[in-house]
Amino acid sequence: MDQAAILDHQFRIAAYVVTWVIQLGYLAWLGLRWQAQKREAARLTRGPR
Amino acid sequence: MKKLAIGIYAALTVALMIWGFYQAVYVAPTDAMQGEIFRIIFYHVPSAMVAFLFFAISLTGSIGYLSFRRNRPRWAQISDAWALSGAEVGVVFCTVVLTTGPLWGRRAWGIWWTWDARLTTTLVLWLIYVSYLLLRRFAAGPQVQTLAAVLGIFGALDVPIVYMSNRWWRTQHPGPVFGGAQGSGMDPSMVPAFLWNILAWLAWGILILLLRYHVERQHQKIAAAEAQQALDA
Repeated sequence: MDQAAILDHQFRIAAYVVTWVIQLGYLAWLGLRWQAQKREAARLTRGPR
Repeated sequence: MKKLAIGIYAALTVALMIWGFYQAVYVAPTDAMQGEIFRIIFYHVPSAMVAFLFFAISLTGSIGYLSFRRNRPRWAQISDAWALSGAEVGVVFCTVVLTTGPLWGRRAWGIWWTWDARLTTTLVLWLIYVSYLLLRRFAAGPQVQTLAAVLGIFGALDVPIVYMSNRWWRTQHPGPVFGGAQGSGMDPSMVPAFLWNILAWLAWGILILLLRYHVERQHQKIAAAEAQQALDA
């Protein structure tokens, strides 16, 4: 493999990794928000203290 | 039953993503001119397509909110939830486009960025929808949803401009993959991998969009319940 092919390979991996970091990071944030809302909904169902 | 359907859909989506990755990395032939860096297209272009679709959903939701807000409050809230979900998930996919593009450009052109029509209009699109999300996050008061809907409609006007930019103007960005002039597009041997990845990213996007919509509807119900409790107190 020449230097250009190695760099191409690394940049391709970087693009794929960045894509999945963005997508999975967003999914994780959404999951945390969903859990927080579930707790909030449960608190409201119990009524104000 | 609903949980089972969601589970099956999620499993199918993951299988499609794995199949799409396999097609992109191991099945599609290496481009004769660009080498391996070409394979970024299998993530970059489908992400752009899904972002456009979700901004169109946001546009529809925004129009729906403005149409229903006076006489059908429930429909208005549902429309608003679609508008916000479409905008937010669209921004996520647009962010992917704006990060994978420069990684390809650095190897193909020798530069990370250039202010050509396609790149600039895409950045403007991203900035409009980020400002939409910031408005939703930080502004308060009864008019926020209306203002956001108007901004969402104006933001969507940039989508056809982005799409047509490399047809209307001479750009450094490559020509259209589909529907371009004669001689543009990709080699037929690469098309199946490309189509599988479009399908996979669309399935993934829909999964995320449905989750975001569910979270937003839950948020609306909690806000309504809190308002009711405050009135009762």
